[in-house]
Amino acid sequence: MKQQRMGKQKKMALETVLYTLPALFLVALVIYIPFVLSGFYSLTKWNGIAKEPEFIGLENFINLFSGDKGFLQSLLFTGKYTLLFMIFANVLALALAVLLTKKIRSANMLRGFFFIPYIMSMTIVGFIWKFIFSQGFAKLYEMTQMEFLNLSWLGNPDLAFYSIVFVGIWQSVGFYIVLYIAGLQAVPQDVQEAAIVDGANGVQKFFRVILPLLAPSITTCIFMSLTNSLKVFDIILALTKGGPGSSTYSVTLDIYREAFQNNNYGYGAAKSLVFFVVILVLTQLVLKGFKSREVEL
Amino acid sequence: MIPQKNRKKYRLIAVEVIMIIVALIYIYPVYLMFMNSVKPFGEVVADVIKLPTKIEFQNYIDVVEKMHYQKLFLNNLIITSIGIVGIVVFSASTAYILDRRRTKYTKFVHLAIITPMLIPFQTIMITLLKVMSVVNLNSSTWGLGIQYWGFGIPMATFIYYNFMSTIPKEIDESATIDGASTFRTFVSVIFPLLKSVTATVVVLDVMWIWNDFLLPLLMVNSSKNTQTLVLSAYTFVGQFNTQWHYAMTAMVLAVLPSIILFIVLQKYIVEGVVAGAVKG
Repeated sequence: MKQQRMGKQKKMALETVLYTLPALFLVALVIYIPFVLSGFYSLTKWNGIAKEPEFIGLENFINLFSGDKGFLQSLLFTGKYTLLFMIFANVLALALAVLLTKKIRSANMLRGFFFIPYIMSMTIVGFIWKFIFSQGFAKLYEMTQMEFLNLSWLGNPDLAFYSIVFVGIWQSVGFYIVLYIAGLQAVPQDVQEAAIVDGANGVQKFFRVILPLLAPSITTCIFMSLTNSLKVFDIILALTKGGPGSSTYSVTLDIYREAFQNNNYGYGAAKSLVFFVVILVLTQLVLKGFKSREVEL
Repeated sequence: MIPQKNRKKYRLIAVEVIMIIVALIYIYPVYLMFMNSVKPFGEVVADVIKLPTKIEFQNYIDVVEKMHYQKLFLNNLIITSIGIVGIVVFSASTAYILDRRRTKYTKFVHLAIITPMLIPFQTIMITLLKVMSVVNLNSSTWGLGIQYWGFGIPMATFIYYNFMSTIPKEIDESATIDGASTFRTFVSVIFPLLKSVTATVVVLDVMWIWNDFLLPLLMVNSSKNTQTLVLSAYTFVGQFNTQWHYAMTAMVLAVLPSIILFIVLQKYIVEGVVAGAVKG
């Protein structure tokens, strides 16, 4: 009897391992092993071709922090991009979501319109806008003579930055709209009515009642927009390839360039680890900050 | 009372009209892409805004041939199907066992499987290329499909796991008492109950894998036989960057499958995206 139970327990334990091992193995194969190897290669000088990478200790990291202008510039670019993207994507999405939850008949169809860019590949979205910034704007300028259409939106470093932010937001605002709509629909009607009965006007109702109750959605959207914008890559590659000069390199694009174009695999690995730490710290801080402000009904 | 009610109605109509205008401006670039893809080269260059004098599909015939569109479509289909099937099978079964057998071991595995959600792809991409060439999963469509298993499992397992706890244990206990094995219980009792989560996972991962750019760029870009739609469109637009009529057509061909799918399944896609974001 006892032996039988022991046998059954053993069988159960074996089964647990068998069911979970494939998933664990697959994740380890594509994520953990490369991650550990990145740690190793970050301590070496390696061009990807030589058989033996040369061990150089912390030299890559020392070089990185003691004035790698390219990396610093890309960090700054990514930081600015992230900040603007987070603010405008969220404010715009929330405003549109509020309007789309009013009792208008075409709401579902309009939501679909805003969502369509999100289901398209970001590379293609970049190309569409490249076409519009060059061909489309030129034609519109001919027609309207409005000066801003005649600016070099992808050729001037400052303007190229705003163009990338704009296209990034255009591509994904539908995603945040959909999340905010779901959040707004979950705000109970009776609470809103109670606020009106208590004499709150529309603006007060929105800022004092709806917004606080929307906090979980805001946290989700802020978190998603933060992680997505920190990793911006495809859109830039399609729009400017990092140019003009190297003014629009994001961190991810810089890592890509370092490894696959300059063949500095070791140095690239060091950059990618620093990037990992930056993302981890930023997301945890922001998540904690927003979570602590959430209120419960 | 009536005038106030009317005022409210007019305000709603005004909101609706404004929203329709905003939405149309918003989607205008997509319309421009479609419209210019059916114009001959001369008309695209002359005026991108003007409607075509007559709709022509010659661009499509040319580009389908130049890109080897059928082959690309098939590649995308293979990669996405292999990826999705593996992600669903491994994540659902793992989440099932992790939730039902809570031991020290499962706690460790759970943590080990979901933690990679915090690791950005760019952190591992350099060495991933090396590891994948060692195990021979690089430069083939099926190999790329298998790679997506490992990348998709963390989030999918996380979503499945959170849902598992809402399925009462009594359901699988009674199946076990009836003599069903663990495998049998999972396949015929648990998995059907996970249908809504599976829909979420499929929607999110199809959109991701079908449109993914960087991983295919690193793995399957070297040969025309293994390229994906987006990759090919990327190279194609690069080559034909002055022949905008071909570029537009290639872009339309690359996004058309997603747009059709979205129009048909809008409700499920939007629901899936919301569920995935809230649970993920």
